[in-house]
Amino acid sequence: MFEKLHNNAGLIFPLIAAGAALAFSGSLDPYLAFVATSWVIFGLLGLSLDVIWGRGGFLSLAQTAFYGLGGYFGAVVAINFAPSLGLSLLWALPSAFVFGALIAAALGYLIFFSRMGELQSTILSYTFTLLLWSVTQTFKIDIGAAVIGGDNGLSNIPGIILGVGEEAKKLKPNAAFACVVFISAVVYFFTRWLMRSNFGKIVDCIRIDIEKTELLGYDIRKFQVLNFAYSGAVAGLAGALFALWANYLNPSIFSVQEALLVPIYVLVGGLGTLAGPFLGALIIGALSFWLGGGAAGGQTTLILGAVLILLVMFLHNGFLGALDNLWRRFLPDPNDAARDAGAVKIDTDVLDQILTEAAKQAGPAKSLSTDEAFKKFGGVIPVNRVSREFTPGKPYSLIGPNGAGKSSFLKTCVGIYRPEGGTIRLDQDDITRTQIFDRVHKGMGVKNQKPQAFGDNTVFDNLWIAAFARTKDKAAADETATRILTMLGMEGQKAVQASALSHGQQQWLDIGMVLCLAPRVVLLDEPAAGMTNEETRELSLLVRTLAKHTTVVVVEHDMEFVRTLEGHVTVLHQGKLFAEGDIDTLRANDAVLDIYLGRGEHV
Amino acid sequence: MELDFLATVLLSSLSSASILLIATLGLAVVYGLMGVINLAHGEFLMVGAYSALTATQIGLPYPLAIPIAVAMTMLIGAIVELLIIRKLYGRLFDTMLATWGLGMVFNQLAVLIFGTVSPGIGMPQWNFQIGDYSLAVYPIAMIFVAAVMLAFVYFLMTHTVYGMKARASIQEPQMAQAIGIDSSRVNTMTFAIGSGLAGFAGAILLPIIPATPSMGLFFAVKGFLTVVVAGPVALTGSAITALGLGGGASVTASFMTSVIGDVFFFLMTAFLLWLYPLGISAKWRRKL
Repeated sequence: MFEKLHNNAGLIFPLIAAGAALAFSGSLDPYLAFVATSWVIFGLLGLSLDVIWGRGGFLSLAQTAFYGLGGYFGAVVAINFAPSLGLSLLWALPSAFVFGALIAAALGYLIFFSRMGELQSTILSYTFTLLLWSVTQTFKIDIGAAVIGGDNGLSNIPGIILGVGEEAKKLKPNAAFACVVFISAVVYFFTRWLMRSNFGKIVDCIRIDIEKTELLGYDIRKFQVLNFAYSGAVAGLAGALFALWANYLNPSIFSVQEALLVPIYVLVGGLGTLAGPFLGALIIGALSFWLGGGAAGGQTTLILGAVLILLVMFLHNGFLGALDNLWRRFLPDPNDAARDAGAVKIDTDVLDQILTEAAKQAGPAKSLSTDEAFKKFGGVIPVNRVSREFTPGKPYSLIGPNGAGKSSFLKTCVGIYRPEGGTIRLDQDDITRTQIFDRVHKGMGVKNQKPQAFGDNTVFDNLWIAAFARTKDKAAADETATRILTMLGMEGQKAVQASALSHGQQQWLDIGMVLCLAPRVVLLDEPAAGMTNEETRELSLLVRTLAKHTTVVVVEHDMEFVRTLEGHVTVLHQGKLFAEGDIDTLRANDAVLDIYLGRGEHV
Repeated sequence: MELDFLATVLLSSLSSASILLIATLGLAVVYGLMGVINLAHGEFLMVGAYSALTATQIGLPYPLAIPIAVAMTMLIGAIVELLIIRKLYGRLFDTMLATWGLGMVFNQLAVLIFGTVSPGIGMPQWNFQIGDYSLAVYPIAMIFVAAVMLAFVYFLMTHTVYGMKARASIQEPQMAQAIGIDSSRVNTMTFAIGSGLAGFAGAILLPIIPATPSMGLFFAVKGFLTVVVAGPVALTGSAITALGLGGGASVTASFMTSVIGDVFFFLMTAFLLWLYPLGISAKWRRKL
């Protein structure tokens, strides 16, 4: 009962709050209703940041830019249409929504499609706001009846008008409050639905581990731009509501003081909670409303600056985050199940069946070949003109001493490193310059050295998101994920968060995610690390079965494991191909022993 | 005549670029050696300017006011590092938010103490002629100051024990600690030096840019963009970026308005970041 309530807390409590606000809107003091309207609008602005920062993982300091631009644009439209036709909301809101989305999409395209660094992105978004602040001071233009007068601002913005025609009157404060609460509630519930949809799940994965999300085959750039555009749209909408509420806009909407407030709302309420920003705006608004008259009156900026510092340092989860942590203590911990995990038992029949079906859907196995692949970092050359072809049938092992360039070679094949020379082919397809997610589409499945699972998500959700990347269908993804889950013997840990698993279990989960992709070429970097002897035996069986259906390349240090694979072995040394053959021939090879033991002329 | 004009534009653009470099260097040092972006950098500059202004108002000569401004900002910088930055190591964006709040606090405090309008500093104006054009000496002298500042920081980083420890701490933090470098103390020093450089900038630019509480923001946009475009090799990268972008914006501004110069600056940085998403120096081999 309480667990259910906890799961739906984001639905039930906001519903109660919105209902209460609507019920009492009529009996509020009109002045309080007028001021409280702005708190709700600021909450909406905070929500827009929570979508892109709390969920998308990108700290955007351009939210007030979209807010201001949406406000100006919506106001100009409303000024021109509302006096004769009424219905100011109908004109202002959609246009501000679309305008905010377009501006954010343009900025987002620049940031995400160039794969800009995190720091670069945040600073660019901040300076975008500051630039607007300075440009709008002198920006003067008349658009129809609207007069944008630089630092004189834009006045004569109609209020919230619901009626049609010239005689329609603007809403009284109490009705305007109810109207804004209603609109915000609609936006909130839609946002909540969106963030729990498949789109939202992928956005969450991007925040947790952007590289892994791309390795599952998702075009992360598109999701990031879309999410940013939505966040810009919500900010634009809030801006239009603000313009109608204030009847006046000036460039100070782009000011630093204004921009500073948005992360404060989010941090006070709780990052990533969606409802938090509303609570944050309410708390900050109410505090300055009832305490603002005293000695602290004029010093809002000073206090807010100090509040931001304290929040960041001591209360990072915010109000709702702290409440959630408290509540969870009284609920059973789903991660308890991690402790009684059973042993992994690979059933080759089941695996064969899964792989045969995968071959039916995804086509036959592909070969991977490199031709003179070359990668250097400054003076270090981890991949030095390596030409090699990997075909299905038997597993390939890459071995070599530390620093031989094994992982770098794998990363060059995957596209995490861009080679300076040479070509990489998947069958006859030249993929040297292809984006990572596209290589995954073409059939590559990769497990990096460090096991990568989405720590906050459950084991099942991890497998599901991998399966969904290939199937693009909820039911089919459910089925694939369940089968792999059963094969890994992890049904008991279905609802456990991946971060609660042991290192070895995370390895299995990562391998399971790769299998969900039904890859045509499988690259595994040190899959046996952190596994027990029994698990290593099962892994060997898995790799051998896998190699019958697809091309498999394994980087390993565990020589016993390599021996049990009974496949081709390639020795790398200082970025170059050094020797090849089966493991017994190589064991008898003096040169190979030399480089491993650090003796003789080959060192 | 044509040539005189060109020389004038070139000199004044070089001077604007140098002013940008002077204002940015502290930020670049802190970013390059601590990996921290100090969003209150502009406000440190403002604190330096006000310190120098106050010192001259109580009767000290201007050249003496500059070291006072440096000492003042270094002290504040060290305190800020100990109280705030140190608690947030490894949390880049939290550091940014906290220093952002700090900047606002400084800004508001300056409004409270000094008001929003400030008297200028009474300095004689010297001019010199290139053909028909008259140029003020002081801004042109900033080219020289920027060069000296750059040389000073370079010397500090390469020829002092502190500099070697600081570079070791940012390149291999664990190894640095393993050989006994107290990286927190080095970081306090780095942050103090970065703040001191900002204070120096505020003081040395005082005759050109009068002290106002919001003067920091004037530099903020360009300073932050310069550092992120420069990327990991903060010092050399920032010098080159400041020259290219600051100079370019100034040339644009001298033919059109200063707002268009700002827009040009922003668009150019956006374009550069499109080409070099991690900064222009992301793939350089040098480290300083």
